[in-house]
Amino acid sequence: MRTRGFIVLGVAIVVCALMRSAIGPVSVDGAIKLALSMPAGEILAFRLQSVLSAAMLGAALGLSGLALQSLLRNPLASPFVLGVSSGAGFGVAAVLAGAYLFALPAVTFGGEVGGAIAGALITLAIVAWLGRARVSDGGDHGSGASDPTALVLSGVIVGAIFSAATMLLEQLVPHGLRGDLLSWMAGRLPEIPARSALATVCVSVAVGWIALASQAGALDVASLSDDEARSSGVDLGALRRKLFLVGGILAAVAVAYAGPIGFIGLIGPHIARKLVGSRHGALVPASALAGAALLVSADAVRQWIDLGTGRLPVGVVTALAGGPAFLWLLRSGRWNR
Amino acid sequence: MESLTAPPARAPLLIGENLGLRYGLHGSSYGGSHGGSRGGSAAQVIDAVVGVSLTLAEGEILAIVGANGCGKSSLLRVLACLETAPRASGRVEYREIRTSSRSVAHRLAAVRALVPQRPEATAALTARQVVRLGRFSVGPDESAVDRALGDVGLLARAELPVNTLSGGERQRIAIARAFAQLDRGGVGGGVLLLDEPFSGIDPGEVARIVTALRMRARAGAVVLTSHDPGLARAIATHAMVMKEGRAIAFGAAGEVLSAKLLSEAYRSPMREVGDWIVPDLTASQSTERGRMRS
Repeated sequence: MRTRGFIVLGVAIVVCALMRSAIGPVSVDGAIKLALSMPAGEILAFRLQSVLSAAMLGAALGLSGLALQSLLRNPLASPFVLGVSSGAGFGVAAVLAGAYLFALPAVTFGGEVGGAIAGALITLAIVAWLGRARVSDGGDHGSGASDPTALVLSGVIVGAIFSAATMLLEQLVPHGLRGDLLSWMAGRLPEIPARSALATVCVSVAVGWIALASQAGALDVASLSDDEARSSGVDLGALRRKLFLVGGILAAVAVAYAGPIGFIGLIGPHIARKLVGSRHGALVPASALAGAALLVSADAVRQWIDLGTGRLPVGVVTALAGGPAFLWLLRSGRWNR
Repeated sequence: MESLTAPPARAPLLIGENLGLRYGLHGSSYGGSHGGSRGGSAAQVIDAVVGVSLTLAEGEILAIVGANGCGKSSLLRVLACLETAPRASGRVEYREIRTSSRSVAHRLAAVRALVPQRPEATAALTARQVVRLGRFSVGPDESAVDRALGDVGLLARAELPVNTLSGGERQRIAIARAFAQLDRGGVGGGVLLLDEPFSGIDPGEVARIVTALRMRARAGAVVLTSHDPGLARAIATHAMVMKEGRAIAFGAAGEVLSAKLLSEAYRSPMREVGDWIVPDLTASQSTERGRMRS
């Protein structure tokens, strides 16, 4: 099952990458005719860079979703549901607005990532605190486990508050910056990614991947009840802190890079589970690959849809496709099988 | 616990001294001495376990019985070291097992295993994969997994997804996972802690679980909680009766599990029918009638 699953994921990534490389606002063979007088090879190189950019971002979101689902023991968790994306978004907006208001020098990608990580981790900490288990509610007696329902509900509300706060910040900045912020908040992959930004995403994915893969055995045991996991020798507190950091930081880097992009972090791990099973030794790489395939295909689809007003933000495509797919999963109960 | 220690016949595998567990209703923890709740609406505390002491030797099966909410499961969690200070108090000591691991969690995993009341039926894992998880901190050993599956009679169903098994079979798989965890090269050992292993299980499954536990207890020890005093008396060598967090009796199962003590623990008349102890419904009805008349 596992081998077949990885073959399916590998083929999906190659097909999606080919699709994305073949489609673009400027066709490869017609490029020379247009204002962008570039050789076909360079255009192809740009597109391959876009494929890499989308694949890495998708992998970051897939891994972040898996980490948060394991952290919360809730298959419906994702950076979106927990408000982490909104918190990270607020962090970025705060850095941009702050730089403008205090007439600071232009914010680098590193600054944006810093703001996003601070926003994401603060949000996660608040949500984890609000959603902590209560003994009186039948919570786990003292294990430090969270109550998934309280946690998810807290995440939705805290996320809404941060989204509103981000909109408030938008009102404080001039029109040009406001437009950029609005566009970025819809989830937009950079057409020509800055190398340093892309490198940051790649390094984050590699570190997050290794961090999760090194905990694969503990994550398998942690899928039992908390008491069984702890009785088997898993340090749940340490494991959860790692999941908290990996899930939060990967989501933050993704948000800083392309804005909040929904559903990849939610659906990627589900597709991975269907294809390779529930053991984390396979699930960690499969979630990264599924997230990558999903975002590259969403990027290809948005290139294909030409409304004459510019390309759609990729976040719109993932929400339009991922939302109904997730509702179908939820309704059919397949997410829990 | 007040002078209720049963002298162990063999070297103790587990010693619990003056064990306590106290927690706040709103999730806060409270340390300090026992003896009642602290004042104030936000400081409502529950003393789930108060001053319980026990020893358990190799080959013994201890049944903890008592009414719902009397602290049986809490005591089991304290014994499993899943509760720590300041909520938990007292001393839990397992006979030291030599292990190279420096992690306390790993060292504990080699000497005790807990099977909770409702083991998680992990989707998409086979029975064998679940049992294998028991080897997480004690090192992979496929023969230990096979032995554990064989001991609970589920070797033939090892490759089936665990969520397709019956409730009784899932319970046996959870027990097999604990067996695999405590397996040391074909020798059992350690202390197996089971919370209500027979709840919601048919008599055939109960018999199969009892057989497996008896076999395991030969080289180690078993602590289980049960709502069925008759069953507890049939399988346990020792018993503890709990009431409101305290042990009101601890000793040989045949002596401790008496209708008189259990009537006090359950606050309802019990009577002995052959080897079994059952609720005395006639006495309950007359007591109820008497109450209504008065």
